[in-house]
Amino acid sequence: MLLTSSSPLYFFLMSLRSMFVLSPLDFLHKLRVQLCRPAAAEAGWLPVTQSVRHGSKAVTRHRKPIHILKQKLLAVTKYVPPTPVVPKGAYPFERQEVKEESGFVLLLKRELKKLFQDYKMVAVAQNCNSNAEDMRILKHRLHRHGIAVKFFPNQVMCSFLSDSVYSNMAPLFIGPTVLFVSKEPKVKEMLTSLRSSPQMTLLGACIDNTLLSAQGVVSYSKLPSVSVVQGELVSGLTMMTAHTASMLLRHPAHLSALLQQYVKQQSSEEAPKAEEAT
Amino acid sequence: MFSLMKAAVGGLTGVCRVNGHQQGPLHCHLKVLVAGLQTYEIPPDYSDVVLPAKPKLKFVNKVPNLKKPKREPKKLRDIQGPTRGADSFTQGQYGIVALGGGYLHWGHIEMMRLTINRKMDARTMFARWCISGPYKPITRKGLGQRMGGGKGAIDHYVTPVRYGRLIVEVGGKVELEEVKHILTEVAKKLPFPAQVVSRESLAALKKKHADMEQNNQNPWTFKQIVQGNMLGIRRVVSPFDVHHCGRFSGKFHFPGRV
Repeated sequence: MLLTSSSPLYFFLMSLRSMFVLSPLDFLHKLRVQLCRPAAAEAGWLPVTQSVRHGSKAVTRHRKPIHILKQKLLAVTKYVPPTPVVPKGAYPFERQEVKEESGFVLLLKRELKKLFQDYKMVAVAQNCNSNAEDMRILKHRLHRHGIAVKFFPNQVMCSFLSDSVYSNMAPLFIGPTVLFVSKEPKVKEMLTSLRSSPQMTLLGACIDNTLLSAQGVVSYSKLPSVSVVQGELVSGLTMMTAHTASMLLRHPAHLSALLQQYVKQQSSEEAPKAEEAT
Repeated sequence: MFSLMKAAVGGLTGVCRVNGHQQGPLHCHLKVLVAGLQTYEIPPDYSDVVLPAKPKLKFVNKVPNLKKPKREPKKLRDIQGPTRGADSFTQGQYGIVALGGGYLHWGHIEMMRLTINRKMDARTMFARWCISGPYKPITRKGLGQRMGGGKGAIDHYVTPVRYGRLIVEVGGKVELEEVKHILTEVAKKLPFPAQVVSRESLAALKKKHADMEQNNQNPWTFKQIVQGNMLGIRRVVSPFDVHHCGRFSGKFHFPGRV
């Protein structure tokens, strides 16, 4: 028998050749493989057909159909947002947003603080439809008496007042307001100047750390000046002593006549009292 | 003569004279106030922003220069799931983030480059690529070829992009509104859903997901059921879904899933 390349014996001998290099297990495996392969494949003129099963791809352009059980799982594990206790829009937003105050607002507040410290009288008026001309005239009139005219935005004013002692003045600052400030409380002059300008309406004032309404300001203006009141008080206190002093300066005959009359009066009073007692 | 002039000037100034304060010929006596106080926002300070020497987007090659380009398997898993890196800003302030997976080819890159370079102002802003040029070879067989006969020849190259990846970054002495219209125009044309983000909005997006996980009122979560293999659900849930908790399916991302 010729030892051809296709005979099993040939394979056996070829594999024996490699036996000394590889392990016995590899040798046996190789032998088995080589014995199982068809002879024609060894020549190489037939393609080796192998059927492989291809599954569907994971990454697709379309949304892949999902298994019903997975659909159920996804439905069960959906995101559930927390429900608010109070439905939205039921109550108005109570908490006010605290805004950081800009530098300008802080500057205005500092000015206001100085104003309330320096000036004794701070009057608030509302101006409607006053021209620049009217304003100029009013400012001039007030300046003659030492009253200055100040403008501040209502927002800044209200926020300043709410923190300070003068919080009760806050309701006055609604609408276009003007401040009349002066070191000395010159109310009468201010009222006369304001009477001449019909656009200005006095709302209230803070005079000597006392809040006054419009009527209060009017009555304050009607008060006599401090010196007059002091004089009156002094005269009232010293009235008795002054009267006595003036009386003593009279003629002694006059005084003695008065004393006699007084004694008579006393006796006449005592007699009816004694009669009543008995 | 002098007295006349003085009188004239005095008269003129007398008209405008204010009681010793706030003097000036043009000063108005009437101060018009409004109820509120107009406060202006201080514009942002860009003094620390450094613009690079070449602010525009660089040209990107259509084909990587390889000596021997090898054909690669499709490996569509480079589109699947969230991105592994390049999901945060490095130099710029605003950018485009991908909200899905996809491949960017040279046409898309050229469109982005030309649009952004044309519309941006090189003096005040700069732009930077966050993706590399196309490197993944895509093969195509010739027209009318039957199945079989080996893998086709390389047709073109693409860059794979995953969900959450930044595509392009823009920065400089600008605000979002100045840059938004340019970037939205580009983002609409991309092959995957994309969104214009700033540093803050990107952080907000991530935080939103974290908050959703935190305040979820549903007692059952995908993770819990699948990790415990309740009802033998692992039979229909892939290992990828186990890892990503059902938030991704292929190249798609589901923002409502937690």
